[in-house]
Amino acid sequence: MSGGTQAAPGGAQTAAADGGGQAVADGCGAPAGGAPIKDAGNQAIVQGKVTKGGAPVGVGYARLLNSGGDFVAEVPLGEDGGFRFFAAPGTWRLRVLAPGGVTADREVSAATGKIAELEVAV
Amino acid sequence: MSRSDVLVDADWVEAHRDDPGVVLVEVDEDTSAYDKGHIRGAVKIDWKKDLQDPVRRDFVDRAGFEKLLSERGISSDDTVILYGGNNNWFAAYAYWYFRLYGHQSVKLLDGGRKKWELDSRELVTEVPRRPATSYKAKEQDRAIRAFRDEVVAAIGNQNLVDVRSPDEFAGRLLAPAHLPQEQAQRGGHVPTAKNIPWSKAAEEDGTFKTDDALRTLYGDAGVDFATDTIAYCRIGERSAHTWFVLHELLGQPNVKNYDGSWTEYGSLVGVPIAVGDAS
Repeated sequence: MSGGTQAAPGGAQTAAADGGGQAVADGCGAPAGGAPIKDAGNQAIVQGKVTKGGAPVGVGYARLLNSGGDFVAEVPLGEDGGFRFFAAPGTWRLRVLAPGGVTADREVSAATGKIAELEVAV
Repeated sequence: MSRSDVLVDADWVEAHRDDPGVVLVEVDEDTSAYDKGHIRGAVKIDWKKDLQDPVRRDFVDRAGFEKLLSERGISSDDTVILYGGNNNWFAAYAYWYFRLYGHQSVKLLDGGRKKWELDSRELVTEVPRRPATSYKAKEQDRAIRAFRDEVVAAIGNQNLVDVRSPDEFAGRLLAPAHLPQEQAQRGGHVPTAKNIPWSKAAEEDGTFKTDDALRTLYGDAGVDFATDTIAYCRIGERSAHTWFVLHELLGQPNVKNYDGSWTEYGSLVGVPIAVGDAS
């Protein structure tokens, strides 16, 4: 898979995905938060929220793995349980890690110009 | 060098964080993480604002490093325990930096902030007050820092380890779309470099794999342990993680981190570049 993928914790945006956005980071990792993304633009976005008993899971991590199971990206969950990745088109595996040894996996398909929305109950 | 010389676990931190001569330091890319909660007693270092020269593309100089650590209340003979987010990327970068300026006793918290959080250990917002010190740094240890000409000279002669993702290695990605200021002019990798993403050295919880697993990982990928090594990524922090593995955990004697990394190499005029996936 040509897994060109970037990641942002819940509530973040990129300048590329939403032209008026703030520049959010300058390293290799997860950028800090910003306003919600309304339009995927030319990105293939995978985003969502992690909940437990209907309440957001604010401490935990979302990992994106490629179809071969290899690590691609990881973000800490936002306070609202949110996560976001800027993926390439294709099929991905989302893995949630939360305190207490909790893990949850979901398959997700990403497509350019689309936002794939997930709600992961753990 | 053994693991216990360079790594501590969370139980050790909880037992020793109040010991005289032990200083916890959180190093993050997203420094708001520290402000939301950190390990009790930890001070904060911002990998960019505190460790980079504000004008030139280089580190703060020796005097700047001394000033920073003096302000943070760290002494030359303290044992510094570094940890951070992103699977300890920036903590590993800071570790390499402390070593570069000759700090003797520095260790990483295995698993960093992630494992600490996943284990539901305590985080506090109270910022510790440490009296200022008069930190004395040494001259930079160039034995662990590679510059561009050394990288070019290493092609075909030394191990070059590209720790970026396969897409960056292949040249399909230059940099994330939201990081235009660090984009190189060309995509690809240094010819003869092996692509061993940093993430393969870590478990899911951010802890380092066992020495045996690490040796197998690099050996199977074509790293010749009898030869000198240069590691690089995009800006030098993911490769600091790999430098830590090769030099500190596996005890390889001559490993350098090329902090100019792809943002420099991919913008150089006239140097050879290879594209495409690893064979």
